[in-house]
Amino acid sequence: MKRLLTLALLGVVLMSVLSSGCIGGTTQTQTPVTKTVTEKETITKTETQQQIVLKVIGPWSGAELDAFMEVIKAFEREHPNIKVEYKTYRAEDLATILPLQFESGDTPADVIAMWGWFIAEMGKKGHLLDLSSVINPDEYIPGILDPVTVAGKIYGAPFTAAAKPGFWYRKSFFKEHGLEPPKTWDEFVELLAKIQKIPGVKTPIVSGDSVGWPLSDVVEHFILTFGGRDLQLKLIKGEVKWEDPQVRDIFEKRLVPLLKAGYFSEPIEWTSAIDLWWKGDYALYFMGTWITGMVEDPNDLGLISLPGVKAMVIAPDYFMVPKYTRHPKEALELAKFLATKGQKIHVGTKSGKLATWRNVSIDDYWEPMKEVAKIVSEVESAPDLDDSVGGEWQKVFWDQLKLLWVQPDRLDEVLKTLDEKFPKK
Amino acid sequence: MLSKDIINLDRFPKDSPPWGALIHNAVWIAIHLPTTVFLGLGLAILLRKREVFGSSIIKSIIFLGMVIPMIVGGLIIRFLFERGAGIIPTIFGKLGIKSLEITWTAYPQTALFAVILGSIWIWTGFSMLMYSAGLASIPRDYYEAALIDGATKFQMFRYVTWPLLKPITVVVVAMTLLWDLKIFDIVYVATGGGPGGASMVLALQMWDYFARALNYNYAAVVAVLLTLLTIIPATWLIKRRGSL
Repeated sequence: MKRLLTLALLGVVLMSVLSSGCIGGTTQTQTPVTKTVTEKETITKTETQQQIVLKVIGPWSGAELDAFMEVIKAFEREHPNIKVEYKTYRAEDLATILPLQFESGDTPADVIAMWGWFIAEMGKKGHLLDLSSVINPDEYIPGILDPVTVAGKIYGAPFTAAAKPGFWYRKSFFKEHGLEPPKTWDEFVELLAKIQKIPGVKTPIVSGDSVGWPLSDVVEHFILTFGGRDLQLKLIKGEVKWEDPQVRDIFEKRLVPLLKAGYFSEPIEWTSAIDLWWKGDYALYFMGTWITGMVEDPNDLGLISLPGVKAMVIAPDYFMVPKYTRHPKEALELAKFLATKGQKIHVGTKSGKLATWRNVSIDDYWEPMKEVAKIVSEVESAPDLDDSVGGEWQKVFWDQLKLLWVQPDRLDEVLKTLDEKFPKK
Repeated sequence: MLSKDIINLDRFPKDSPPWGALIHNAVWIAIHLPTTVFLGLGLAILLRKREVFGSSIIKSIIFLGMVIPMIVGGLIIRFLFERGAGIIPTIFGKLGIKSLEITWTAYPQTALFAVILGSIWIWTGFSMLMYSAGLASIPRDYYEAALIDGATKFQMFRYVTWPLLKPITVVVVAMTLLWDLKIFDIVYVATGGGPGGASMVLALQMWDYFARALNYNYAAVVAVLLTLLTIIPATWLIKRRGSL
């Protein structure tokens, strides 16, 4: 009987050890692997290395994830001793989890994609590794590293970026109805009036909802067109108020008249908006470059930027490396790869993204993105306004714009709220 | 006694309290609580007899709201009230009420009501189930005695059914009140508290302070307020159950 009990006890202990290894030990798995290195002298030597598992968290799923995994596969090919495990988490959810985990000296992953403002915030608190040793600022589009640089330290590795270049339309739709892309503001307004009269079209422009950014992207495009990059930067820094006459004018004279004329739809769920726009219920949709990977035929896509646009928002994805990672060397290696060669691979997929690393050429792009990449390269780049300010204000901004969209008469109230809620220095 | 050494008054919130969210929770309770309680009771009485055609199916449909995840419930509400896709704006359009043939969740004057009405469907299944169980436990003899005494159907309900369902009502009211106070998921998904804060509720306000503003002090204040508010119905429930 005693023997039986001892065996049972041993079994329980063994199971506990095994299960604890299964649950928490993925990053600690150290399996010997054989790697073959070919050198110039064609000497082939075999060395035994430790298999490292790096955990990566990002927001992508579906087709976007497929595109990202191409980059990861390339990294794994280049580093046979490193295996990457990817998990999808929305940034909104991570914002709840990460501060607490970091405070307790832990991290759910070794490399994490997150908002720029959040990375700066965590960097300030000392939770992240400085990436200055793997990121050369001279190799990137100017200003791209600003949101993730704190006191000279770079806390975020820039990956590819989405641009918010303007209103997308179907070339076939324009051809069918004899429409032409406008060259002036007046022509743009005339175009909207013409579209509104087409039978079956609900409103000329469809407005995306259920997430906040589709409306804020539209507003930023108006600010960059009629106020320029400088105004956008001053708004981000809080140096210009939202009630400032210059800003008010853009709303009063440009955007609000379009809203009052009913040229924009009421906000509807942004992905179903794509389907409705594609089947002709709406003619134009303001969206980022990722839309190229979300439609049936990207070659049928045309782009209308507001005439006279001076700058466009380039919104990169950033990766951070928490200092609590168990594999800092390998995590930094992956961050470097994502910020450099990884970009070259990513723009060649159907990601609909643009490179922030200057060593990527137009030839590296996926065919439907080549034209967009050219258009974007001809104007100044500007940081995303609400992503740069971030925090509570970002949600207030989205929320107030939703209000403005359905009740444009409340412009004064909206601008006042945006000023009142802007983070105090 | 309250010196700065004991309590750090400098870090005490100086902004105005989240009155908007508090009022919205109060409106929620004022509409949602009586509607779900009486609707649940009415449906339980109506569908108690097996001979009612399709009673099991109707019960299942109503109870579906209770078993689906709240996040999914929020998504359904969003689409139910969306112009073009949802049934509610379409019905109002057919009735000729054009002012309500809109995407309810997009307008400040309708957003809160959209989520409240949607939540009535989600929660009515609970009160219906509770009352169905309560009704099944009332002995038939009481009704037969009342019938012999010449009681009408209303009198039977007034003097037999309602008093005997009192313990159930206490539980339903208290649970509904607690649910209304902590409501979060469906508002988060359906409207995000907007537009312009028109459907903001306390739990979502707390989450916004915590996860968006990273302002843990403010989030804690709202959490304490919510706790104090929930203690009231919880205490009432415990006292009432003790006296029943």
